[in-house]
Amino acid sequence: MITGEQKPVEEIRQMIAPYKRILVLGCGSCVAECASGGEKETAMLASALRMAARMNDEDVTIEEMTLDRQCVMEFVIQLDKVIDPYDAVLSLGCGAGVQAVADMYPEVRVIPGLNTEFLGETKAQGVWAETCLGCGDCMLYDFGGICPLARCSKQILNGPCGGSVDGRCEVNPDIPCAWQLIIDRLDRFGALDRLEDIYPPKDWSTKQGAGPRKIIREDQQK
Amino acid sequence: MSHESQLKKVLTEGEFAVTAECGPPKGADAQVILKKARLLKDKVDAVNVTDNQTAIVRMSSLAACALLKTAGLDPVLQMVVRDRNRISLQSDILGASALGIRNVLCLSGDHQIFGNQPQALGVFDLDSIQFVQAVKGMRDDGLILGGDSLDHKPDMFIGAAANPFADPLGFRVVRLAKKIKAGADFIQTQCIYNLDRFESWLSMAVDRGLTQKAYILGGVTPIKSVGMARYMKTKVAGMDIPDDVIKRMEGVPKEKQREEGISICVEAILRLKELSGVSGVHIMAIEWEEAVGEIVERAGLYPRPAPDRA
Amino acid sequence: MINAKRRKLALFYCRNVPESREKDRQLLEEACGETISFFPMPCSGRVEPVHLLRALEEFADAAYVIACPTGACRNFEGNLRARKRIERTRSIIEAIGLERERVGLVVCSKDNPKPLAVLAREIMDKVSSLGPSPALGPKALNEEEKGI
Repeated sequence: MITGEQKPVEEIRQMIAPYKRILVLGCGSCVAECASGGEKETAMLASALRMAARMNDEDVTIEEMTLDRQCVMEFVIQLDKVIDPYDAVLSLGCGAGVQAVADMYPEVRVIPGLNTEFLGETKAQGVWAETCLGCGDCMLYDFGGICPLARCSKQILNGPCGGSVDGRCEVNPDIPCAWQLIIDRLDRFGALDRLEDIYPPKDWSTKQGAGPRKIIREDQQK
Repeated sequence: MSHESQLKKVLTEGEFAVTAECGPPKGADAQVILKKARLLKDKVDAVNVTDNQTAIVRMSSLAACALLKTAGLDPVLQMVVRDRNRISLQSDILGASALGIRNVLCLSGDHQIFGNQPQALGVFDLDSIQFVQAVKGMRDDGLILGGDSLDHKPDMFIGAAANPFADPLGFRVVRLAKKIKAGADFIQTQCIYNLDRFESWLSMAVDRGLTQKAYILGGVTPIKSVGMARYMKTKVAGMDIPDDVIKRMEGVPKEKQREEGISICVEAILRLKELSGVSGVHIMAIEWEEAVGEIVERAGLYPRPAPDRA
Repeated sequence: MINAKRRKLALFYCRNVPESREKDRQLLEEACGETISFFPMPCSGRVEPVHLLRALEEFADAAYVIACPTGACRNFEGNLRARKRIERTRSIIEAIGLERERVGLVVCSKDNPKPLAVLAREIMDKVSSLGPSPALGPKALNEEEKGI
């Protein structure tokens, strides 16, 4: 899933300041899972913004709504029925959601309420960690299911670097050394000898070699 | 000006080599480098120049190496993969060779978070081992990554770093083997204070036949003060400073600490000289280049073999 | 929950608080229903930050939760959850310039369990010094002054 965290409320208030009728728009998918932009969080933020407006004697209408997904056209289109009165949408979707709404309704200002962060997993309740960079050429098999690009701070493919302490990364001891994990994992599979070979340089062209990426599947198109 | 690697010459002729380190300034003054050059000339076979060490912006290693060449020294160009992609890394190798620089040390580099530009993008297009391999391909086959040929091959003596004390210990020698397999001709290690532990790492390297394939230079750093010793023991990852080293530093009055630090350093070098498998010493006297001369002399390593004049 | 009438306190309480049954609540509302709005919950862990925020937004100068002592929650950890949610709510209101103390948690004592009426009085004493909430708007503040 895609994770993100809410922007500080002062920053949000600065961005919405010029607008008079604002729709706070949540998303029921990834950002609900990481408790930053789901229905609950949307209601909380809308309430806080309304109180702040009242406290500062600001004349503004703030309402809320949550879509199942903000990144899929079929869901975004549901806004057709309601969007007319609003001059701004404060989107709590990830960057993809914000832009999907903005592309669909270019006459409305769509403002991001989140800082979108990473592709990752829910490791435990309340804990999310980055695990995938979206490189377009998955090498997880070679590394025992642990990605050295996303989880090694220096993206080393022939690790470890020698800076780790007790299996923790030198950059931040909260981060486990990905290479320690890889070594342990491959050892478990009896495949440690794979690491004796020199892994060649990454082909980054599948990530940024041809500009922003697009997937087209004819079998899926109408 | 000679355009041969003095370091390579000394090592291939079987002499115990001595290298030192020179940190470029946080500024554009060439004189800083030239002053350090004067302190080190004739005391060592080659001088490493660090590359934006600790991710702090300094005069480029390549430029500083070119300055050292004008002063008649044999520089070792340190290059980290943190700041440059494969295009500019390979390009800099060609440029360095054109400037007569004949030694390169291929490193990962400290993460940008540690320096004064934590907002910078860390490049990490290649890792240090892939970089060693790329330089070897350029030097021996005249090819860059991807297979295009070069008009003129660079001439480089290729080095890599090794840390005998880093985690995970069991894997250190495998990584050393990979660096040598990739094409490293020489290895410089992190500074050694625990000679016993170094010896066990070395024996594993010897067992794998690695000391037959590459020259290992043991790193040493003279300790300036008790404070420095304690800091390195507790705050710097991958360092092993035995308690009796700390005790020795604690046991002398403040004015004598530098001298004691130098003595400890000299003793370490004397022990390294005894070990077969160790081909030289790399003296990292950080911001204390003046001490290098004294250390080299007291370790019985002076005078150095004279370089050939071109 | 939208209740246009202004109250000094919105009180969310776990049904395991002593003397907090339906009958007790009715008596309390007769006594102080003008000042306190009572919200019985099956467990304090069911109170969400949005309930407290909406209370502050709509009608209350303060919003408090009463929870069972640690280890005594019938739902195992509802009271722990309540604690975290109160803290989150406090951070949110602080960020918009409202006093943190307008939201709070009171944990029942294990050894000396007090009935709802006593706890309600104690919390009222705590929050009355805060005065009318600016989140209910300057207009509401004026109404307060006028004694509406």
